[in-house]
Amino acid sequence: MANVIEMKEERKDFKEEFETTDMALFVRTSEESMNDWNRQRIVDALIRETYIDVDTAKEIAREVEDLIVTSKIKMITAPLVRELVDTKLVERGLEQARKMHTRLGMPLYDVDQLILHPNKENANVPHGPEATNLTLAERIKKEYALLSVFSQETADAHIRGDIHLHDLGFVDRPYCSGQSLEYIKRFGLSLPNSIAMAKPAKHPEVLLAHMVKFAAALQSNFAGAIGWDAVNLFFAPYLVGMSDRDLEQLAQMMIFEFSQQAVARGGQAIFTDLNLYWEIPKHFENVPAIGPGGERTGKNYSDYMKESQRFAWALFNVFLEGDGSGRPFFFPKPLVHITEKFFQTPGHMDFLHHICEVASEKGNTYFVFDRGETAKISECCRLSFKLDQTDLEDAKEPWKMRYCALQNVTLNLPRMAYLAKGDDTRLFSKLTEFIEVAVKAHLEKKAFIEKLLSVGERGPLALLAMNRDGSPYLRMHRASFLIGMVGLNELVQVHTGQEMHQSRQTFKFGLKVIAHMKLLVDKLSERYGMHFVLEQTPAESTAYRFAKLDLRFHSPRSGHIVKGDISKGEVYYTNSTYLNNSAVLNPIERVRQEGLFHPLIEAGALTHIWLGEAKPSKESLANFVIKTFRQTQNDQIAFSPEFTTCNACNRTSRGLRSSCQYCGSQEVDGITRITGYFTKLSSWNKGKIGELRNRYRNQAYIEEAERGAALKVG
Amino acid sequence: MELIKIFVKAKCPKCPAAKEIGLELKREGLPVFHYDLDTIDGLAEASFHSILSTPSLIIEDEEEREVVSWRGMVPTIQEVRQYLFRSN
Repeated sequence: MANVIEMKEERKDFKEEFETTDMALFVRTSEESMNDWNRQRIVDALIRETYIDVDTAKEIAREVEDLIVTSKIKMITAPLVRELVDTKLVERGLEQARKMHTRLGMPLYDVDQLILHPNKENANVPHGPEATNLTLAERIKKEYALLSVFSQETADAHIRGDIHLHDLGFVDRPYCSGQSLEYIKRFGLSLPNSIAMAKPAKHPEVLLAHMVKFAAALQSNFAGAIGWDAVNLFFAPYLVGMSDRDLEQLAQMMIFEFSQQAVARGGQAIFTDLNLYWEIPKHFENVPAIGPGGERTGKNYSDYMKESQRFAWALFNVFLEGDGSGRPFFFPKPLVHITEKFFQTPGHMDFLHHICEVASEKGNTYFVFDRGETAKISECCRLSFKLDQTDLEDAKEPWKMRYCALQNVTLNLPRMAYLAKGDDTRLFSKLTEFIEVAVKAHLEKKAFIEKLLSVGERGPLALLAMNRDGSPYLRMHRASFLIGMVGLNELVQVHTGQEMHQSRQTFKFGLKVIAHMKLLVDKLSERYGMHFVLEQTPAESTAYRFAKLDLRFHSPRSGHIVKGDISKGEVYYTNSTYLNNSAVLNPIERVRQEGLFHPLIEAGALTHIWLGEAKPSKESLANFVIKTFRQTQNDQIAFSPEFTTCNACNRTSRGLRSSCQYCGSQEVDGITRITGYFTKLSSWNKGKIGELRNRYRNQAYIEEAERGAALKVG
Repeated sequence: MELIKIFVKAKCPKCPAAKEIGLELKREGLPVFHYDLDTIDGLAEASFHSILSTPSLIIEDEEEREVVSWRGMVPTIQEVRQYLFRSN
């Protein structure tokens, strides 16, 4: 889009000879047409966009015109005219009017850089024209959000780095969501603004096609992850009598469809989570099953255990094989729920070994622990929606089980410690202050989304407003508002002088900080009638951003605290409530200790076990998983191996190497988990590269376990 | 000497009975600590010991290692004494 004003030659005498409308000054507007210069346009814009009076607007327009005419500039841009007007507003102290009159956009240099270089804020965005479009749009929406959606106090807190407002570039959508396949099974694919309506699927392949299309539509309406509940179970009524070969084919189609969706929004693969169960979850046992054509089959879901298990098994066969060059699939992510009932269900040990083999070979499996009566839907890098009594009531009509988190706001915990200067009272009062700002941000975002939703199916969030079952697709009263944290370990280090893994006392201090956050968000939830919950922010770029900002604002102290390599700029804070990544700890002890935080973090938590090159046996991993379930409070674990994939010979080997072990080519890419998903190292930001260098890879403990020495819980 | 830690909440019907045991043991000169899960310190200490329900009572040795615990239930004072007696 051209935004250029060109001035014709021989402009120098204009002032003496012509009035405004005669000036041979042409404006190429955003409609790409050439318009004669007209001072009145400045007046019109000021009246339309701000609250200033006509006389002031006219005065400003004339002053700007004088400036242009006397400046002898041969070519000026429309943004420049606007900036000149803004300077006049500033001169008059009209700060609010200047803000309202702001032009959103990007410098030419930045656009050039963007088109030529990849964006590393999110490793799930490849580099290409679609990705550039996404980033450009995000930049403008981000500025819009900070100027117009959020108050100055909130925006300043974000810009300063006290808090981080996630996905500002997607400010006009909720954050992420949990879905039920039952919705499309029952209502078909009938999307607002769609040119064709599809009735409920009659065949499994069609159901899969509907699922993929719907996921893409949802990706356009949510900023982040799309999680699907009990996928193998809800597919089961369609799979009766299917041969093993056909079932395997369907599983392959599902995984390839979701892993190759990099043709969707901004070239970004849909962040897809498949929640899977070996057993029939208790809350679905007596629920009437929906089968082909959206009809009830006359049976309950408990009658479909065989098909459900066969499908889960087939999906993991595909994960085990990997993609066409043996690499792990980055998406979809399989999350297996480990429950008491899991261990009472026949065949569970075989299945556990199967998914542990995948965990060891490819790393895909996420083990989600639902202890006692807990049930949840997991998604994103670790987010989960815990199901309460009302949800379990909804489970009788599972298409109602649609959840969302409206926004995620993360707190810079080390920042509070720098500000507190070792004083406990000041530290906890800063924590309260930061949480209050986060809550304010949530109220502002909620008001904005409600405004968009109020236009209903004719509005920008038509899909979320569609009503097929008596309530809008997005059930606002069930929405969660996430409050995340980064750098608890560094907060403790600044405040006490030691990191969390270094003493029982400092570890307990970390728990105290999170306990304070938990009690406060519970209190605020009651006060506002909203569901504020703590979440372990994945912090792919936030841990880097906070560390960089604190190096700027809290030096020299922060120089001794941030992790990584300052000389290379590879700095970061430890994610959420994690212990230092480089600490040498028995992995089960790490899982136990980190798990002590998890009951306080209702919206999801996860512990990574970095495997490096090690490839533990499936039996040893199964043993680890059982111990984690029985002897810890940990919510979720994932084992992360590392790979090198060769772009020359297309083969993949274990470990991170600088050249291909098969053909020797140096055209290689490393692959491992960045936060809650696998991706290529070339797309990582510097902070995460710094973290990767420091990760303790558990090799010695794994070898010990392989020799038969049990991993002990300390 | 062992430490006795008792975890309670305000709105918990069985908690007064657990508190009563604590008071009794305290009168006998034993080191008893009460933790209220509605407070920061109480919730942090409960999290450290994986206490997810109230009332709970744990006995620890001098090095803060757990000797025995009753989680989400109230033991009789005799049961508690038995462990204190046994470990002494």
